[in-house]
Amino acid sequence: MFPFLFFTMYFQTFLMMSFLEKRKKIKHEENRQIEMYPSVTIAIPCWNEEKTVAATIKSLLALEYPQDKLKIIVVDDGSKDNTYAIAEKFQTEHPAMIRVFKKENGGKHTAMNLALEHTDTELFGCLDADSFVKPVALKVIVSYFNHDKEVMAVTPCIHIRSPKTLVQRVQAVEYLMGTFLRKAYGELDAIQVTPGPFSIFKKEVFDKIGPYKKAHNTEDFEITLRMHKHHMKIMNSHKATVYTVGPATFRGFLRQHLRWARGFLENAIDYRFMFFKKEYGNFGMFTLPGALVFVAYGIYVAFFLLYHTIYSVVAYISRLQTVGIDMPHFRFDLFYVQTGVMSFITMVLFTAFLFVLYIGRELSDDKQQIYKNFPIFMVLFPILVPIYLTRAVFDTIFSRKNEWVLQDTKQTSVRH
Amino acid sequence: MIDKKKYILSFVLTAAIFATAFFASNFFSDKRIEVVKSIQDNIAIDILSSETQFDLLKEVSCSTVDASILAPQLEDLGSKLARTENDGTADPAQILYLKKYYSLLQIKDFLLSKQLAQKCTSKKPVSIIYFYSNKGDCSDCVKEGYVLTKLKSLYPDLRVYSFDYNLPVSAIDSMKTIYKIHSTLPALVIEDKPYFGYKSVEDLENLLPDTLKAATTTAKLEASSTKAVLPKVQ
Repeated sequence: MFPFLFFTMYFQTFLMMSFLEKRKKIKHEENRQIEMYPSVTIAIPCWNEEKTVAATIKSLLALEYPQDKLKIIVVDDGSKDNTYAIAEKFQTEHPAMIRVFKKENGGKHTAMNLALEHTDTELFGCLDADSFVKPVALKVIVSYFNHDKEVMAVTPCIHIRSPKTLVQRVQAVEYLMGTFLRKAYGELDAIQVTPGPFSIFKKEVFDKIGPYKKAHNTEDFEITLRMHKHHMKIMNSHKATVYTVGPATFRGFLRQHLRWARGFLENAIDYRFMFFKKEYGNFGMFTLPGALVFVAYGIYVAFFLLYHTIYSVVAYISRLQTVGIDMPHFRFDLFYVQTGVMSFITMVLFTAFLFVLYIGRELSDDKQQIYKNFPIFMVLFPILVPIYLTRAVFDTIFSRKNEWVLQDTKQTSVRH
Repeated sequence: MIDKKKYILSFVLTAAIFATAFFASNFFSDKRIEVVKSIQDNIAIDILSSETQFDLLKEVSCSTVDASILAPQLEDLGSKLARTENDGTADPAQILYLKKYYSLLQIKDFLLSKQLAQKCTSKKPVSIIYFYSNKGDCSDCVKEGYVLTKLKSLYPDLRVYSFDYNLPVSAIDSMKTIYKIHSTLPALVIEDKPYFGYKSVEDLENLLPDTLKAATTTAKLEASSTKAVLPKVQ
């Protein structure tokens, strides 16, 4: 356990240091004025999104950005519902701005590539059809391209839209944690993924390194790996707020996260040459190995927890069978307070985690009332993570066709 | 670009946090050992004092002696020692020393209780001697532990003395010889008679003398009647 704890602590310290040393620069980013408005195309890949696509398009139309500089391409990837008709209505209302395409179902990457083929703007981005942007989001993102010519892509700050169910509330905290992580990784030039909801790229990125690939159903992770391979700079804009609809059920959550974890492992294998290579900077030396260690850590914790849970349950049942229900006698005595090394380290890590959430909340424009969701997160997240991680590793090792992935019909791919 | 300094500094900071955690853990572990030692010393003094008191009162009537002369902190000490042992942070040699000391204190207390029983038959303390093993060769010892804890909660006057069968203490070996204890564990001694194998709460209740049950019932009745006559606080 100690090597894992040491690594986790090292990981947190490293990210925290990187963030804190750049805090003034980060603060400065928030007050930058936009100097020029490059032309932008936002693609909305859809597959049976009749319920949300209208709101997604409306949120783009409400962007505080010159209308003549903004184009929207809706790609209906073989929907069987009314998605196309709804999108077409918007095209009729805004013919100069919106174009709608319909094609045979081929997966998200094919929809994105079709949009790319029809893109002639300087910037290109994607907005999943279940995500919605704040009006200032694009302007804030563009300011990064304005101020640093080397920036080739900018990722946003993603929040769960109106978390209601237990699992959505878990995700609300998970994404808040992601707010800090994305920013810290961004400052290290080591962003792990350019997520589907509203990551904006220079169009030349695709001209230079090619279009999206299927990439084990995680095209957003693969394009990030490819960009790092070509030493392209990716930044994070913490004030570019995007809301996405998180899976409402545990099954949906597990399917989605399993797809991400499996995609990470498969792509990590494809790009294994980048691990521990100085030429790929912090991404090769820190982000990739770190993510892999966390997969191992998650699985280790899974079995550790499983063993101790079974042990405790068996002991409890044995006690129950032996002496029946016995009311425990609580008597506070400082002598019995846990003071092992593990307890101290866990306490420090937990405090650091709270600090991460605090920074995430401070960074973002969405001031969530975290205390409502935090207890739920603390109970459920440690149970859910090992489940999909173990399954992802198992499936990757045995290269099984993954039923969950196949059933994960939502082709959106949001990551932090 | 890679900032080597940051990688090294993070490592140093992490190592420092770990070192601090180890230091703090050792510090508290030492404190815990000190607490256990201090309780043991107190008990040793209590027992010595009780023995002296007993010697002084040898010639006088039984009414001036009662069961309270037996070490009251012995149970607390056992629990704290077990916690220190299970914590795994203390030096095993120190734990072994403390366990031996604790076992000897228990034997002393047991002998004192026997003396009290001989002198005052009406205040005869009832005790159970329990031999266990935590080497993994006694599957029923954990269950027997639950039973004895339960029994202790049912009969607060009952004195339970637990001994690690494998502890290298000559006094424990003598106890084993006296009560003819062999390696079939758990083993219990009630009223000088050895019993081997797992015994349930009901089994043990049947083996305990009626005086203990009667004393417990009387104590409970007295407690409830005291409560009944207490005036209500407005």
